[in-house]
Amino acid sequence: MSRLKEFSLLIFFLIYGSGLWAQCCTSGNPFISDAEQPALQSRILTASLTYRYSHSGPYYIGDAHFTELPFQEVAFSNYMELQVGYGATNWLTVLTELGYSINKSLVTPGVDSYKGYGLGDAALYLKFNAYSNSKLRLTISPTIGVKFPVGVFDQEVDNVQLPISVQPSSGAFRYLATIFVSKGFGKTAIAGFASYEYSQLIQSDNFYYKYGDQWIGAIYFNYRPWKSLILDFQLRNEFRGKSSRENNEIVDASGYDVVYFTPQVTYAFKHNWYLSAFGDIPLYKYYNGIQMTFGYAIAFRLTKKIDFMAIQARARARKSNQPKMEE
Amino acid sequence: MSKIYFVLILLAVSLLACSKKKDSTPSADIKIISLTTSVNPVKVFDTAVITMEAVGDNLLYTWKANHGKLKGSGKIVKYSACYSCIGLNTITCTLSNSTGAVSDTVMIRVLNE
Repeated sequence: MSRLKEFSLLIFFLIYGSGLWAQCCTSGNPFISDAEQPALQSRILTASLTYRYSHSGPYYIGDAHFTELPFQEVAFSNYMELQVGYGATNWLTVLTELGYSINKSLVTPGVDSYKGYGLGDAALYLKFNAYSNSKLRLTISPTIGVKFPVGVFDQEVDNVQLPISVQPSSGAFRYLATIFVSKGFGKTAIAGFASYEYSQLIQSDNFYYKYGDQWIGAIYFNYRPWKSLILDFQLRNEFRGKSSRENNEIVDASGYDVVYFTPQVTYAFKHNWYLSAFGDIPLYKYYNGIQMTFGYAIAFRLTKKIDFMAIQARARARKSNQPKMEE
Repeated sequence: MSKIYFVLILLAVSLLACSKKKDSTPSADIKIISLTTSVNPVKVFDTAVITMEAVGDNLLYTWKANHGKLKGSGKIVKYSACYSCIGLNTITCTLSNSTGAVSDTVMIRVLNE
């Protein structure tokens, strides 16, 4: 019963929490950069809620600050994401996620700001436990997935359509393939993550636009000083190719190559509750043409893990320990 | 647990099935006189003022741009574009009332310099 209470509490937090914060500045869900996890074991469920604030500001030309603009434009977003994962078998984990932009704003001094909000994209991933050796503490988990543009696109304010950069949904189906490799050594672990994303044409009568392909490569250093405290340090390279528009015209001022440093701290509470805080700090930025660039992001994630196998085992043990009723 | 996933998939399919379609019945009672822009081409981050002149009762003006940013409402809006919108862009204005809807477009070229 206490498990049910905990799960109800999480659902309550998910529902009412979404009203507390609201969503930056590429359309669709941002990449949530917390440390990737291997596939779950059979009959383990994880549910997590992430809040992320991101700030974009300076314009760049290549890898240099572009200072010739007569104004300072900034963009910021408050975003939430619900993710549920379930170990269907020991070799397959099903993950679903749904994004919500509380606000996604573009602010130019002296001009009314643009603000989009609403449901973003949903995603479905299948993560495979391709190789797992507990003795060597080595796991390899490939994943395939699809992002669905279920949310708000073509959003209007006063019957005037908002620019694409503040639309909550990406408006396009996107297909992903990733691989995660982790190796443990004593209190530490080293992990690597690589991801490729292909985007379809935006599904809109008004836009003809295709995002460039995205490649992500990351390396994590994981350290567990105490049982309840986990530290992660991540170096990540995100590369996005140039977008294309009508007549397959390439958008020169699109696509980028950014190297991030992402520190993360996770605290494990009792009853399998976890709270993580992490941030994205760009170490190197290269943007094609002249573009507004990413500034920083901070995020918090609350996770609840439920092991149905363990619950069942405890229930069985309790039953067998009960004295038999005399007839 | 399979029930939970069934509900999640059902929810996803329902969301995918929901799409907002506006009434686009052509109207003979709405007459577009002109749809004009103050400048064309326009430089990156400069502003063009776009004006729709039309005849009709209780007209609702709806504006869309395939690339770039629109600001304002009613018969006059301002258009500006950043570097990623360089090229020939389309701005569409749809006029609607209880009799139906009529649309017109204006093409604006956004230049680097």
